[in-house]
Amino acid sequence: MIYLLQGNLSVSDSGSYLPVAIQVLFVVGLIALLIFLTHILGPKRKTADKLQSFASGIESHGDARQPMAIKYFLTAILFVLFDVEVIFFYPYAVIFKELGWNGFLAVLMFVGFFLCGFIYILKKGALKWED
Amino acid sequence: MIPVLLILVPLLTGLTSFFLKNERTVRSWALFASLVTLAVSLLGLTLLKDQQYLFFQAEWMASLNSSFSVRLDGMGQILCLLNAVAFPLIFISTWRSNYPKANNFFALMLLAQAGMMGVFLAMDALLFYFFWELALIPAYFLCSQWGGPKRIQVTFKFFIYTFVGSLLMLVGILYIYFHTKDTSFDIASFYKASLTAKEQTWLFWLLFIAFAIKMPIFPFHTWQPDTYEQSPTATTMVLSGVMVKMGVFGVLRWLLPVLPDASWAWGDSVSTMAVAGMIYASLIAIRQDDLKRLVAYSSIAHIGLMCLTIFSVNNIGMQGVMIQMFNHGINIIGLWIVIELIERQFGTRKISELGGLAQKAPAMAILFVVIALANIALPLTNAFVGEFLMFTGIFTSTVTKYNIWFTVLAGLCIILAAIYTLNLIRKVFYGNTVELTVNTSDIKLNEKLALGIIVVLIFWAGIYSQPFLDVTKNVSTDVTNSILDKPEINKYLRK
Amino acid sequence: MNALILSAVLGVIMMFSGVMLKQKSAVRNIAITGLFLLLVVNILEMSGMSFFRINTAGMMHFDRFSLLFNCIVFFSTFVYLLLSARDIEKTGNYYAEYFTLIFFILCGVILVSSFQSLLILFLGIEIISIPLYILTGSDKKNLKSNEASLKYFLLGAFSTGLMLMGIALIYGSVGSFSTAQINMTEKPGALMIAGMILLLFSMSFKVSAAPFHFWTPDVYDGAPTVFTSFMATIVKVAAFIAFIRLFGEAFGNLQPQWQIWIALITAATLFIGNITAVFQQSVKRMLAYSSIAQAGFMLLSLYAMNADAKEGLLLYSAAYSLATIGIFAVLIKMNDYTFDGFNGLAKYQPLLAATTTIFLLSLAGIPLTAGFISKFYMLKAAVATGRHLWLVIFAVLMAAVSVYYYFRVIQAMYFKEGQPGIITTSPVFKYTLVVLAALIIILGIFPNLLLNWYYF
Repeated sequence: MIYLLQGNLSVSDSGSYLPVAIQVLFVVGLIALLIFLTHILGPKRKTADKLQSFASGIESHGDARQPMAIKYFLTAILFVLFDVEVIFFYPYAVIFKELGWNGFLAVLMFVGFFLCGFIYILKKGALKWED
Repeated sequence: MIPVLLILVPLLTGLTSFFLKNERTVRSWALFASLVTLAVSLLGLTLLKDQQYLFFQAEWMASLNSSFSVRLDGMGQILCLLNAVAFPLIFISTWRSNYPKANNFFALMLLAQAGMMGVFLAMDALLFYFFWELALIPAYFLCSQWGGPKRIQVTFKFFIYTFVGSLLMLVGILYIYFHTKDTSFDIASFYKASLTAKEQTWLFWLLFIAFAIKMPIFPFHTWQPDTYEQSPTATTMVLSGVMVKMGVFGVLRWLLPVLPDASWAWGDSVSTMAVAGMIYASLIAIRQDDLKRLVAYSSIAHIGLMCLTIFSVNNIGMQGVMIQMFNHGINIIGLWIVIELIERQFGTRKISELGGLAQKAPAMAILFVVIALANIALPLTNAFVGEFLMFTGIFTSTVTKYNIWFTVLAGLCIILAAIYTLNLIRKVFYGNTVELTVNTSDIKLNEKLALGIIVVLIFWAGIYSQPFLDVTKNVSTDVTNSILDKPEINKYLRK
Repeated sequence: MNALILSAVLGVIMMFSGVMLKQKSAVRNIAITGLFLLLVVNILEMSGMSFFRINTAGMMHFDRFSLLFNCIVFFSTFVYLLLSARDIEKTGNYYAEYFTLIFFILCGVILVSSFQSLLILFLGIEIISIPLYILTGSDKKNLKSNEASLKYFLLGAFSTGLMLMGIALIYGSVGSFSTAQINMTEKPGALMIAGMILLLFSMSFKVSAAPFHFWTPDVYDGAPTVFTSFMATIVKVAAFIAFIRLFGEAFGNLQPQWQIWIALITAATLFIGNITAVFQQSVKRMLAYSSIAQAGFMLLSLYAMNADAKEGLLLYSAAYSLATIGIFAVLIKMNDYTFDGFNGLAKYQPLLAATTTIFLLSLAGIPLTAGFISKFYMLKAAVATGRHLWLVIFAVLMAAVSVYYYFRVIQAMYFKEGQPGIITTSPVFKYTLVVLAALIIILGIFPNLLLNWYYF
């Protein structure tokens, strides 16, 4: 009824790790090279202005830790949550036919749980913007 | 059935005592319970001494090959009798002492009795361990609830000492368990366990430390004087009269026959420790001003002698040890009763603050002197029989080269014992009365009764000790032969 | 499988009960009834009545070991709710959600107790951990609770990362997540060993074995006491079951490789847990360190990994959980968490003091209690391996040290004068405590009452 990771996984021999090793080497090498190069090549003028934190060339002013409405975070996190769950429909869409009715029921169950969560947050008033 | 009753009677009466609210009721109930236990014990000695009555086995933890098997053999008879006699004596002699929350006090006392009965009866190593710890827990609560001002720290030291010892013993028991032929905790399997000499050596020390702490043997004795001093006297009687015998008993039943090679090989070391402890404790006892501490150190010396005798592995000596366990228990309870009386009346235990008691309290003086003389093993008293047998045992020992040295040094301790005991009698009971003791009143009926019984027992066991010898004969031969009959030991024995 | 599905559904039900029902007591009663149902369906499954036939493709397997363990967990949680459900409600505003999270944690516990694939293990561990981060921080106004939650989350996430890395390495070398497949590896390569070590580290973190224990005291101390109780007992033993299953089933053949590591970790855990607990002034913090010390003893089963060890771990989980839940339930009622706060408890609350004493004696491993017999099984399992006997002797010495701090509480209750401030307790609370204490003693005398379930 529940299908997960049913693909055939063949045990790979050590030769197939070569690309991985090359990539690891490349990544480490590139990072090291970049750090090294910026250190050597970059001009160094340490003035007081230069060492200050700034964004887009504008001088900083005020406190960075300004309070923001907590509701914003809640809405944002709920959006991410539900958005991510929708991603599960993509693989299902690809093998929709192969899975047949069993698969359909499974996905229906998934959507059901999903809906439960949605009703719950609605009931809890998580999406009410004004008190 | 007898052994089961010996455990169950104090156990159940102890548990019910928790729920009795009236102090007088619980006191009478506890005395009644202890008398019933005594009756059962006597029944086992006289009327029902067939094996069928003295043995009981029931399934317990079958998957571990451990069963609830209890048996009364000769040594068990003696010690159970001691245990059964001690508690009525304690309850009678402390009849007038006041204990806050008396129901808990008597309940714990009876539970301690049940635990010790179990130790003396268990024929299964796991069961033995169970009861060994079980006897300790009530003692811990008794001492730290009703004891002297420093009771909490002191009792805790006592508890930790004993607990470390018993845990080490547990490891030892487990190791032997896996090396028995049928992986069983039964004592017969333990006696036949196949262990190499090297294994035996460290197993010996694991087990011996547990027993040595309990006895206590120098240098594991440091908990003892403090605990005796701080405990309520009724508990001190239990500790010194019966509980220390658990250590001696453990060596005799669970150490020598289980690990004969190591017991023989390390016998001289242990004997040296015992002798050193005896001399050390006797010398300290001479300098003590506190009555309780004096008796505590004298007890270390006496137990040291028993340990020395055990490791001389000699049939006569073994018998002496078993008899002496009983005698020492009776005598020391007598001493504690008198000390308790003195402390209750004068509020002090300092020898230097007392004097001239004999003038005012002749009955107490007479009874105390008899008990004290028994403590230094004067002929006609019970301890004489025991110590005579023990000295004979040490002197004729075939396992050690130093038997003469040990005899001489141990004999020295008898002289030292005479010094401190007679000194005690002279200073406390004779001479002129001091300010504190002018208005001394003599002992009451219940105390007379308790001390009277003890004195009777002292003379009876001192003059006619044949019954004791008969009871212990077989078991002491078994213990001795478990070592002497081993061919690999036999060829080294002095002929 | 019964319990797994039911616990997930119950979690959802609890979620909605908080929204639909206005009465606190109704929510509480649903939770307690639900847990009882959970216990019943699990027992039914043990006697062969499974309501669902789901093909898990070999990723899970409900054998007697896991089912019996789940029974122990459900029973412990049931007792826990009976004792402390009211205190759970008092923690914050979202009382129904706390029960929800507990049911979800139980879901994770079922997963980790019956996994046959590293994926399910990972899933279970995460399902246990994430609700716990929330519960730890549920006392929102309390800075220490927030600190504990954040600390737990950061370190927990880190150790989960280690676990994933380990799983990935093992997958890389074996090509399968299945524990049976992993165990069949003939010659373990460097990847495999590295993966195993990473799993060892991350699991040690989850069971708070030294030197991965640093989060434990702060988190246990900071979290609301009701949830510390849950974390220190049910969650901890669940992690142990996962640990022993993982190393028994996936790396059983590699035992010679990891045994000495486990031995060293065990010794370190015992040493640090016990010695540090001695110096604590707060009973709650002492219990945190004591849980580390007890974990050291449970690690002995992992070290031994034989039949005795599995029986012993079942027994140990029951004995340890029940006793610790009992102590925490009493602790919650106290106003003052220091040792001195317990002074004179025996005088004013003799029943609470007596039951607490039994729980403490059980934790200390005194005969006649379940704690002794479970420690006994652990020692027995370790001695049966016939190697590293120093570890066994070290363990018993540390057990003797543990007596020191457990008995300090007993001393305070019985032998010291004082007037403990205590919140009033209900009759149900007292009866449950008495039943719990009786159960601990019965298990201590007849451990077979529990262990027979394992075989029949």
